[in-house]
Amino acid sequence: MSTTSIRQPILTLSGVHKSFGDTQIIRGVDLELRAGERHALIGPNGAGKSTVFHLISGHYVPSSGRISFEGHDIQGASPQHINRLGLARSFQITNIFPKLSVFENLRLAVMRRHGVQNTLWRFIGSYPKVREETEQLLEQVRLAGRRDAIAGELSYSEQRSMEIAMALASDPRVILLDEPMAGMSHEETDYAVELIKRVTQGRSLLIVEHDMDVVFSLCDRISVLVYGQVIATGTPDEIRSNQKVKEAYLGEEVAV
Amino acid sequence: MESLIVSLLNGVIYGLLLFMVSAGLTLIFGMMGVLNFAHASFYMLGAYFAFALQGSLGFWGAVVASTVLVGLVGVVVEKYFLRRVHHHGHAHELLLTFGLSFIIAELVKLFFGNFPVDYRIPASMDFALFRLGATSYPAYRILMGTVAVVMFVLVYLLLTRTRVGIIVRAAIYKPRMAEALGHNVPVVFMGVFCVGAALAGLAGAVAGAFYTTNPNMALELGVMVFVVVVVGGLGSMGGAMLASLLIGVITSLSVGVDYSLADLLAWFGAGEWARQVGGLLTLKLSSIAATIPFALMLLVLMVRPSGLMGDKN
Amino acid sequence: MKPNTWIALALGVGLLLALPALTTASLLNASIQMLIAALFACAFNVLCGQGGMLSFGHAAYFGVGTFATVHAMNAFNGAGLLPTPLMPLAGAAMGLLVGIVAGWFATKRTGAYFAMITLALAELLHALAPQLKGVFGGEAGISTMRMPAWGLTFGSSTEVYYLTLAWVLLSLALLYLYTLTPVGRLTLGLRENTHRLRFLGYDVHRLNVTVFAISAMFAGVAGGLQALNTESANYVLLEGHVSAAVVLNSYIGGVSVFLGPALGAALMTFFGYAVSDLTRAWLLYQGILFVLVMMFMPSGLTGFFQWLGAGRRAHGSAALVPLLVLGVLAGLLLTAGTVFTVELLQRFFSQDYRSMAALRPGAGWAPIALFGREWLPTAVGTWAVPLVLCGAGAALVLVVRRMWQALLDRAEEKQAAPHAAVAAQGDAL
Repeated sequence: MSTTSIRQPILTLSGVHKSFGDTQIIRGVDLELRAGERHALIGPNGAGKSTVFHLISGHYVPSSGRISFEGHDIQGASPQHINRLGLARSFQITNIFPKLSVFENLRLAVMRRHGVQNTLWRFIGSYPKVREETEQLLEQVRLAGRRDAIAGELSYSEQRSMEIAMALASDPRVILLDEPMAGMSHEETDYAVELIKRVTQGRSLLIVEHDMDVVFSLCDRISVLVYGQVIATGTPDEIRSNQKVKEAYLGEEVAV
Repeated sequence: MESLIVSLLNGVIYGLLLFMVSAGLTLIFGMMGVLNFAHASFYMLGAYFAFALQGSLGFWGAVVASTVLVGLVGVVVEKYFLRRVHHHGHAHELLLTFGLSFIIAELVKLFFGNFPVDYRIPASMDFALFRLGATSYPAYRILMGTVAVVMFVLVYLLLTRTRVGIIVRAAIYKPRMAEALGHNVPVVFMGVFCVGAALAGLAGAVAGAFYTTNPNMALELGVMVFVVVVVGGLGSMGGAMLASLLIGVITSLSVGVDYSLADLLAWFGAGEWARQVGGLLTLKLSSIAATIPFALMLLVLMVRPSGLMGDKN
Repeated sequence: MKPNTWIALALGVGLLLALPALTTASLLNASIQMLIAALFACAFNVLCGQGGMLSFGHAAYFGVGTFATVHAMNAFNGAGLLPTPLMPLAGAAMGLLVGIVAGWFATKRTGAYFAMITLALAELLHALAPQLKGVFGGEAGISTMRMPAWGLTFGSSTEVYYLTLAWVLLSLALLYLYTLTPVGRLTLGLRENTHRLRFLGYDVHRLNVTVFAISAMFAGVAGGLQALNTESANYVLLEGHVSAAVVLNSYIGGVSVFLGPALGAALMTFFGYAVSDLTRAWLLYQGILFVLVMMFMPSGLTGFFQWLGAGRRAHGSAALVPLLVLGVLAGLLLTAGTVFTVELLQRFFSQDYRSMAALRPGAGWAPIALFGREWLPTAVGTWAVPLVLCGAGAALVLVVRRMWQALLDRAEEKQAAPHAAVAAQGDAL
């Protein structure tokens, strides 16, 4: 699963802080995502994991600190700029186009990379590449049979699959998945894990996830976020035996 | 010099009036997320009700009764109209209030005619309070300003110092939590809507006597109130006050300025050219005083889209 | 598109082409207005129903289109650069230009703020217009004349009708094709989830401005057609009620279907033309209809027809027809009662009646002439009429509701029946 050589960092957070008014949510996060690795961000509820994603993807501007992607500073950049640089994300709360069909949803995600977003003089149907890619995406997430269904009427786990597909559509080099398997059944989760393993080959993945089995089987490295700070980073085994992590999750007495 | 002070005073009072109406709108907007397009209609209804009741209740009786009546209209609007379409979303509620404002305007035209009505300050109030040099300043204007200030202080105290106020603020900020704590949030919403409407009605009853009362006053004031909300910022009372005063003062001061862009350009020697070009350049500021707030709005949109005191995120 | 749709469209176009031979001169004039209103509404819908941006000031783009076209007609005098039939291009160009500028500002905010800004922009133009007499012609406006071109004089209504029809059909076709382009698909995305589009890499502000500009451009075409039709332009075209009308028309017709707004606008314009001589309260009725639609039939008339179609498929025509008949009857009764009340009140509160009453103090309230009879405002009978009408209508509404509920219950039972049969078989085994 992981190679022995140390890969180069592709996404780095250095000393990132974020406050909302007087409340500090992120209190100095240092995080490093290496090229080609699958990196999990775990932590108790309220630790700020989604906030970290919002900061990386351009939804929030850090109060201080640096976020660097492939050598470019992206803190404070707009979401569209960051996406065009090659970083895509999925959302914890399904964030799709509810009244459009599944096919249309994915096509909107695919279209941008083909540079057609300003085109008024040709029909969308006249771009075979766009259609092919959209069909491929549908196949990959096992939604081909639902391509004409209205997205808002899909089951919850089908919508989660669509979330993952939309993040993939722009062919990103870094992909951020925010609790992609939340609410999925066992079988669906297993399939999703295989899917994620497949589609993140050649890409770098940062994933927020609560299911520890998934995390340990999927990821090369894990960072633990507690109260807006990363308290530990390492391989699954290192994290499993880390004292601070045990205390954070289970409380001091139980950890002993 | 005194004309400057008079203009300033007029502007402040007009601004306070604007604030009376936009405060209610901001409160309702912040609380329910719905822009009540009919809010300026409440202002108009206040003026018309007061006018209609003036004969039987006397001026001040009519003002009080009108305020209460408009509050009741607000309750009806919230309970029987807005609540029914709440689940369709904010855009839908906005459209519904738009339709209601349309109907209210047409009803006013039906009952009172499609022309201004003779709603006037009673003779007992029609005197000058003081003199500024050669100009005498009407007492009624000061009265309008006083009413606005008193209302603002009362609402502020109500919201910050009383138990009801704390519940209202909690319901505005986190309605579901407030409900979970046992407070009857729908009643709170209705109450705030009622008070907001009543305030607009009071403003109308008081101001309608001084300014004109006609079926178009809802649109005229309504647009200004919207500009206030856009300029002031998202749901911010302070922003609404600042924007109202700014707009009031700027409008008032511009009315006294009989110069145009061409005159300004004359300073740089381009006066003749500007006068030849004509059009916008030769427009006197006083003629387009009413459009200055729009220019301010466009400026704010360019430079600070979330409003002067709005939240940047 | 389905073959049924093609047939319906062909029939519709055929009817429109044959119209001048089928109707009177004044109806033909009304038809021209209906076509213009229909185009204006469809242009509005690009921004509103498709893009999800509610504009309360669309009259601005219609109006500048009218003014631009009138100026072009005066400047080019029919020949030279722009022959008469191509005049609406001036409206399109001006609509596009103003739309880009206005859209740039307005789309800096979303939702209710956007709506407020569009209203403010239209009011700004309306307030400025009387001051810029050179451009807007002051109180009287500007007038012009249609010049002959292409072998036609454009003197008769028929020729103006066909010119308008050609432009409206062309524009509607273009607007439909627009929905098939990438930008057209993205417009829907804007409505559904602007937030997500940002994270998919799109420059949302630029997209918003594009959609706004296209909507304004076609509104400008409609304005240009107005100029050709009335041979004049006046700044009252920039007034609030023009913006309000297009909003009301579009939602009454239904904004989720492409031709919905066109249908609503045509219908409302027709009714306005038909009843404007009979009543002064037409706008009030329109407002009431709009509020009723927003509360009980949010997807408008076209949505209602779709719902009927689905109902027919689910329950069969036989079950649905009596419901429909009773429903229409209920509607008619309620309408009659409301109209009676409004018309009575309107006359009672009118200037004429009040001056008459003032002239005869002590003579009591004079009877009001309505629907060919005289009604005494103080008589119980006068008020009993609308009461009975509305009461009957409301009662019928309740009956229809019960019938509909019974229909739904029966459908549910039918669905459960096979399962019950299987379960019973299972028990028996």
